[in-house]
Amino acid sequence: MFELTATVLLCPLAAFVLITFFTGKSEKISSLVSMVAMAVSLLSSLLIFALILSAPGDYELKIPWINILKDLPIEMGVLLNPVSSVMLMVVCTVSLFVQIYSVGYMHNDEGYSKYYSFISLFSFSMLGLVIANNLLQLYIFWELVGLCSYLLIGHWYHKPDAANAAKKAFVVTRFGDFGLLIAVIFLACKTGTFNFLEIERVIGSGILSPAAVTAVALLIFCGAAGKSAQFPLHIWLPDAMEGPTPISALIHAATMVAAGVYLVIRTYFIFDLSGTALSVIAIIGCSTAFMAGSIAIVQDDIKKVLAYSTISQLGYMMLALGVHGYTAGYFHLITHATFKALLFLGAGSVIHSLHTNNIWEMGRLFKNMKVTAVTFLIGGLALSGVYPTSGFFSKDAILIQTLESGHYVLFAVAFLTAGFTAFYMARVFFVVFLSKEKFSGKHPHESPAVMYVPLILLATLAVGLGFFSEGFSRLIFFGKINEPEHAVLIPLLSNLSAIGAIVLAWAIYQKELISAAALEQRFAFVHKFLKNKYYIDEMYVFCVKNILFVVSNAAGWFDRHIVDGAVNGAFYLTSSAAGALRKLQTGMVQNYAVGIFGGVILLWFFMNMMK
Amino acid sequence: MIDMYLLYFLMIFAAVSAVGVVTFRNIFHGAICLGAMLLGIAGIYLIMGAEFVFAVQVLVYVGGILTLILFAIMLTSKIADRSILQANEQKTVSFLISAITLFVLIYAIVKTPFTTVQGPFIVVDTARIGKSLFLNNILPFEVISILLLAALVGAIVLARKDIKK
Amino acid sequence: MIAIQELLIFNSVIFAIGIYGALTRRNTIGILMSIELIFNSACLNFIVFGKYLYPSLLSGDIFVLFIITVAAAEVAVALALLLCIYRNSKNIFIEKISLMRG
Repeated sequence: MFELTATVLLCPLAAFVLITFFTGKSEKISSLVSMVAMAVSLLSSLLIFALILSAPGDYELKIPWINILKDLPIEMGVLLNPVSSVMLMVVCTVSLFVQIYSVGYMHNDEGYSKYYSFISLFSFSMLGLVIANNLLQLYIFWELVGLCSYLLIGHWYHKPDAANAAKKAFVVTRFGDFGLLIAVIFLACKTGTFNFLEIERVIGSGILSPAAVTAVALLIFCGAAGKSAQFPLHIWLPDAMEGPTPISALIHAATMVAAGVYLVIRTYFIFDLSGTALSVIAIIGCSTAFMAGSIAIVQDDIKKVLAYSTISQLGYMMLALGVHGYTAGYFHLITHATFKALLFLGAGSVIHSLHTNNIWEMGRLFKNMKVTAVTFLIGGLALSGVYPTSGFFSKDAILIQTLESGHYVLFAVAFLTAGFTAFYMARVFFVVFLSKEKFSGKHPHESPAVMYVPLILLATLAVGLGFFSEGFSRLIFFGKINEPEHAVLIPLLSNLSAIGAIVLAWAIYQKELISAAALEQRFAFVHKFLKNKYYIDEMYVFCVKNILFVVSNAAGWFDRHIVDGAVNGAFYLTSSAAGALRKLQTGMVQNYAVGIFGGVILLWFFMNMMK
Repeated sequence: MIDMYLLYFLMIFAAVSAVGVVTFRNIFHGAICLGAMLLGIAGIYLIMGAEFVFAVQVLVYVGGILTLILFAIMLTSKIADRSILQANEQKTVSFLISAITLFVLIYAIVKTPFTTVQGPFIVVDTARIGKSLFLNNILPFEVISILLLAALVGAIVLARKDIKK
Repeated sequence: MIAIQELLIFNSVIFAIGIYGALTRRNTIGILMSIELIFNSACLNFIVFGKYLYPSLLSGDIFVLFIITVAAAEVAVALALLLCIYRNSKNIFIEKISLMRG
């Protein structure tokens, strides 16, 4: 099984190296290498999953790496269990589909080979993150995916927006990573190991005080919030849409942003011990979901809608984890990975055809792009949680779990957010595919087969995955198996609200029974508030201007005058001392002779004094 | 008794000549003083009964080395000018250093209790020296011959004019 | 017979004068002559110690002979060097030969 893991991991790495150093000139070979490697990885991960399925449990491979610290052996390793094997499959699948799709989407792009090499590197890093058996290794890959995200957002680095977005993504996630790093170091110091299973055992024995556990959990969540774009560190994700759309599908919808959720799942044994941390996660998750969902309603950029939707759904996952919905949260991660990747790829197909992101410059694309429209519809329905798509199963599991755990306020907010979700997806769908044509002089056409085949496959998955939910909950659980309740009321209610929202959207944007402009005027304040994304970016700017700049100016002054002064002073001292001392080297032998004899005399005096 | 007075006289003579060596402006006069000092020292050797050493001192030092030095002075004639200052600017420091050195040495000499053999100086005859040189000290003797040979060759090589030019 | 201390002090005087000369003379030949003074004081010291402390031994005399020989060799080489320098720079003032200046 570990040989298979090595295959999964090393194929993308090999592809990265090959493309970077050898096949960079030939675009066709580059993409082929990348895709073949990914396909091999996918096959291997499927085999691994089959093996795990036949005998669930933890399989661990440890390789000693650095043994300098006696009390803290550092190792590389692989931890295979149902959780990681499922994630392996998801990553490989989405990555492969996105790579196939990119053949069409990135056609004729200048950085085609570069793009594929970075995608391979990303796949490698993400897979490494998934199978890591210790926190340090996870952290290394965690930073690597962050790097790949930076590189790929900045794929069109000559565009200032893209370069800035890449920077923003890197810097903002760094805030969270800092917390994670502290947590890793703290845990390593306290438990003497990085290994997940050993940390679980040590922490289970109650070595840490409850306060310390809460602190560690919150610090880890800090990292997770940065990567998974949770409030208030979510601001980088909408900007990250400057990258190529397939990248948004792969990294910023399906895999990397889910890494934060995955991290929480991997370290759930810590969170489970701290009720406070769980509550914090639940509240932050829920408020993120609500906030992002509401912002998505007023976005004009099709990718931004999807980006906010992603933030919102990640919030859902966090909410689920916060209310002990381990299985539900993880299942939502997987279903979301499929249908959000599908939606992004569908959006990419539209953008590819019309060369605009603005939904108000589209319209009635259904007749030109039937496959895209249908698959987008399926994705939208899945996101809205309409029966029988996978989103229905995962989202309702979260809602049920929230209600069961007794968080009524959170449930209400989450339920409302579900309505928002349906509404904004319906809005996008109607405006883009069904309403009147708003473009002129353009001739939209269906995308090539390399692009729509992945769409169809992902759509199949988005629909089909839901029926594995029972098997899933028997395979992946924390503590005891959480038998899915066959509640009827909540699914019914949520479906009704979703359909209601869709109808509302239909009425506003399709039939225009209710004027959108009038609504905007009526709720001008709310609209403005949402349009400006809750003024969170402005808040950051304010903080930066008024706090950070003041502090950094002070620090800069300190650096320039005190630190540099010390350094320059040392230099000045040395150089002037040398300048003075070099005069001693007169080159005249007799001066040296004076030194010799004078030294002899001094020696004699010293020896007399010693007596 | 006469020996003793003679010894004192020679000591003073040699010391004065030595001062002359380091103070005369004209290096030529200094060299003459050096000759006088060497002769003075030779006289002391003679009084102390080291006849062979006296002979060697006169022959090698006065007859050889001093002549050589005079040759060198004449070959580099310009430096024999009176007008050129012969002592450099570290005169005071050097004087201090040599004075302190002298003080240290005298201090050590005075403080040290010597158990000397009394009686007149024993005259060493040349035959004993010859035996000692060629029997007991034959190895140093041969080594010194090689050194002399090397110095001879070296001096010739250094001092000759470059043939290639 | 005079005391050993007197002779030793005389030697020290010659030695100190030699040091003074070696440190102050600008002329290379002058330095050489000062070094000869130092040599002579050392030689005489050997004789004095030999005569006063071990009159039956010849070591003092023998040593002096060797020193004189080495001094002769040294002077020969030194003067050859000096001529060489003089030929090259028309100068034997020691402070002009200051290639080691820092």
